[in-house]
Amino acid sequence: MPKAPRLAVATLLAGIVPLAALAAGAAAPIAVSEADHVALAPDVAVGPRGEIAVLWLDRGVPAPTPKDGHPAEHTHLSSMDLYVAVAADGSNFGPPQRVNRADGEVWGFAVSRPRIAYGPGGTLHVAYPANEMQDGIGKPVLTTHYTRSTDGGRTFDAPRRVSTLTDADLSSVIHGGFASVAAFGTMGVAPDGSVHIIWIDTRHMRGEKDNGSIYGVVSRDDGRSFTQDRIEAADGVCPCCQLSLAFDAKSHAYLGSRLVTADGVRMSTVARADDGTGEFTRRVGTGGAPWHIDGCPLKPTVLAVRGDAVYTAAHNGAETPPGVMLATSLDGGASFGPAIPAHPGAAVSDAPAIAIAGDAVIVAWHAKTDGPRRVFYRTLDATGAPVGDPVALTDGAETSQSAALASRTDGRAQIAWQEGQRIYTTAIEAARP
Amino acid sequence: MKRRGFLAAAVALAAAGTRAGAASGGEAAAAGPGAAAISLVSAPQLRDLLDAERGKLVVLNLWATWCVPCLREIPDLVRIEQELAPRGVTLIGVAMDEPGELTTRVVPFHQKYFPAFRSYLRSEIELDAIASVVDPAWNEVLPTTYLLGRDGKVVRRVQGAKTLEQFRELITAALAA
Repeated sequence: MPKAPRLAVATLLAGIVPLAALAAGAAAPIAVSEADHVALAPDVAVGPRGEIAVLWLDRGVPAPTPKDGHPAEHTHLSSMDLYVAVAADGSNFGPPQRVNRADGEVWGFAVSRPRIAYGPGGTLHVAYPANEMQDGIGKPVLTTHYTRSTDGGRTFDAPRRVSTLTDADLSSVIHGGFASVAAFGTMGVAPDGSVHIIWIDTRHMRGEKDNGSIYGVVSRDDGRSFTQDRIEAADGVCPCCQLSLAFDAKSHAYLGSRLVTADGVRMSTVARADDGTGEFTRRVGTGGAPWHIDGCPLKPTVLAVRGDAVYTAAHNGAETPPGVMLATSLDGGASFGPAIPAHPGAAVSDAPAIAIAGDAVIVAWHAKTDGPRRVFYRTLDATGAPVGDPVALTDGAETSQSAALASRTDGRAQIAWQEGQRIYTTAIEAARP
Repeated sequence: MKRRGFLAAAVALAAAGTRAGAASGGEAAAAGPGAAAISLVSAPQLRDLLDAERGKLVVLNLWATWCVPCLREIPDLVRIEQELAPRGVTLIGVAMDEPGELTTRVVPFHQKYFPAFRSYLRSEIELDAIASVVDPAWNEVLPTTYLLGRDGKVVRRVQGAKTLEQFRELITAALAA
């Protein structure tokens, strides 16, 4: 059985949980996942009327601990489900609702997490990586699926595959047992309501040293239909670093991704969609020490956009200590100022999330200081300069990690995170200078 | 498209793997160079394994079946272990794949590609829990290789795939230290 939540006994229907060591500027956390389930990799969205939806991966109820004391096993990677909890009034969450229809079809983990977003009319959009079997070659593949709810999260449409299923068999190249992969993706909804889904696709890989390509689709009818998938960026895409998307007020898309350079640097980059083609042709590095690594960093580059300002956060293993670095562009992503550490005193910091909060920006991450992982957050001003020190959201009684953020309509940010094996959410306020 | 058949089979095999892994949990230390067996290892068990190797230079390699750079360097690490075993070098791998994939993926993969690689599969849910045995500040990058001195302390952390020559140089230097 999982450990009892450190906060207190939560109600079955995700009640508000008192927290003794509540961070200043944070409302009381709310447990949204079921107490006896193993939950991970949350995402959070805020709707146009202030409604909140939290999405997470669910591994079900863990098996009992064997008599020999071996740690409890959890279920197969391929047998996860996707759950959502919605607070229609912005504070009272309903019970967890399963999103996927086929048992255990969802593939994912903290750095290839499913995504959720509200459209301007209140439609709830969800994109996730899914297991399928490619019958033509008799091998498993990973594909990108989409579904939506038009009734506030009570029901979801039948999920549909938005990535093209190819007959390529790259199982000897990918080595994970999959013949092809369309995963590590993300989804975003622009202010004009268009739904954008992008992912990293292996269809052009021919050898082990080849990198992936970014493919994507767009819906301009609130998720009823999508364009045929097409290539969005072809060169040097780190095949295991989850993508991120953000939009400016005019619905221009910005892509956060990691570029593998010719000399082996895994560089965090931002690209603004080309006005004519919509493709992400010019990827600009966000700075920091060059991270030469022939490996699988599994490190996204997250971003938030307001006007011409582009705020980014990404882990850089070449820094001392390795950690989350913040970089800001004030010219629409054409260039970036110096990268600065998000958490200078941490032994290691990772897994950033970022969101606009009123006239400020909030960035969150998990870090180790003097104990287990804890979630921290920090405010940036309009220029990207930190306001105050990192704030610990959680008290470290139990490991907390994998924060997600969304902008609220009241000028705060909504944060969701994993603590132990449970998902929590709360509102946090930007620090004032 | 048939989705359920694959998943049902995978889950069934994963459940079988769970039982096998649990049963073999106490036998983890029995594996050794040249052994084909791969079994689950918890953080305390890994600590015990490393303690049992005190007096040797331990090369601890964190890898995964899906990490292509990891797979490129493993044959070189195995070769170096064979070369330098007489000088007290031993290699231990820990696969960071999902614990439930022991029999569905990791064992078949290991037997097909690296049967001489003495390796285990983490049983901990959190990647960080197993890595923290040697490195509380691990940043979840694969491959990561640690060189542990004869006193059991980490003398070097290496991230990203390295060549045979690079590893030979690093390990030889650690032996000389």
